[in-house]
Amino acid sequence: MAVKAAAANTEKGRAVADAVLASLQRYEIAPTPDNYALWYEYHAGQNPGLRRTIDILVFNNSSFDEKTLRDLKQTYLYAKEEESALRESALKLQNTLQQMVGSAARLAAPSDLRDEVERIRYLVEEVVRESRQLARSVRLLRYEPGESAATIEALENHLARALRDACLDGLTGLANRKAFDSAIHRLAGESMNSGQDLSLLLIDIDHFKQVNDGWGHCAGDAVLCHLAKVLQQSVRGGDHVARYGGEEFSVLLPRTDASSAFAVGENIREALAREPRPDFTPPMASLTVSIGVSCYEAGEPLSDWVRRTDTALYRAKREGRNRVQLA
Amino acid sequence: MFNSPEATTAARRKYCLLTDDSPNIRKIVRRLLEPLNVEIDEAENGQVALEKCLQRMPDVILLDWNMPVMNGLEFIVALRGLPGGATPRVVFCTSECSVDHIRQAIGSGADDYLIKPFDAAMLRAKLDVLPA
Repeated sequence: MAVKAAAANTEKGRAVADAVLASLQRYEIAPTPDNYALWYEYHAGQNPGLRRTIDILVFNNSSFDEKTLRDLKQTYLYAKEEESALRESALKLQNTLQQMVGSAARLAAPSDLRDEVERIRYLVEEVVRESRQLARSVRLLRYEPGESAATIEALENHLARALRDACLDGLTGLANRKAFDSAIHRLAGESMNSGQDLSLLLIDIDHFKQVNDGWGHCAGDAVLCHLAKVLQQSVRGGDHVARYGGEEFSVLLPRTDASSAFAVGENIREALAREPRPDFTPPMASLTVSIGVSCYEAGEPLSDWVRRTDTALYRAKREGRNRVQLA
Repeated sequence: MFNSPEATTAARRKYCLLTDDSPNIRKIVRRLLEPLNVEIDEAENGQVALEKCLQRMPDVILLDWNMPVMNGLEFIVALRGLPGGATPRVVFCTSECSVDHIRQAIGSGADDYLIKPFDAAMLRAKLDVLPA
């Protein structure tokens, strides 16, 4: 009987562990020990307040950014029977982290996330080492709260840095896709409240494949950086420029209607034609972009809005490239 | 079996009170709820909403957080203290998206929480769970 119960427990533990890993991957959360502990608590279902709050965040497509995760931990994890919970978490972590290092390698990652997975893998290995220290200080928590707090703070600072870097595109220094997702959410919320327009440009480099194939990836990278620079010079302070993915860029324009956004698109196109290209970009006859433009309609799903803009971009391509197309 | 009183009132239109100081939000929500055949009234702050609740208790209250005169949190605390104030389904509809705001809302008796920008499907999902 006892053996059977233990086996059932192990089985349940494994199911919870699988669910935790799936959630970390799905919501793009760094697999750190405390994130793992948080989602373990959520999936184990022992903490109703935590469960309710996370369910609300999930329903609202909120991003589990660093601040949200830290607040969840402070509100629902550390407050609850602090010491025993911490000790339990530390033990769970010791058992699961090694397994996670292996699992992280097996995560089915889209190709543009490969570097990210490699980075996370490095992070996990580092955190495994640090967590051993953390587990030791947790055991001493009662006696050395000062030292333990310092360790936790150092770990948090380190992670904050890593997570900030994770919001930037490594090549161009622009905001990356993840940062775009959180910006579009924030700006659309503001637009809904104020009733002021919010527009989106999706910008794609024409014949980029030929640059990469004909001149190599270094030339391709130089073209991407050049466009990133032109984009940043063409927008206002409150606008949000991001590398949306591959050779596609996005610009969010608050307080801008569709026709003004169209004009911004034209400005970008002209600036690109005018701006002298650095020597190391390939000697192509011309470097041009196609741009899709549309304005947010309050109440439509954000994914529909992006799709509308992308359809306009596709039309700009089909109708001859080097042009701006309104949705 | 005979028809229960509940059965005879089942077809009654739901009464929904939009409480938000942004006329734009009230306009959008009105438009999004149109296909649902609900009766809609508006209040521009918690105080006005409370007065409307005293006259007639809504089935559902969509509630902004930051409003002049009386904010959403103050409103829900006052509402839940009223006779019959426990029955309306209160859904916060706000740009406030921090864990602490959600915790406070739930702790004060809110039934659900919608973060702006919400879309038609998300909004309707919150009203679909109302008992007939």
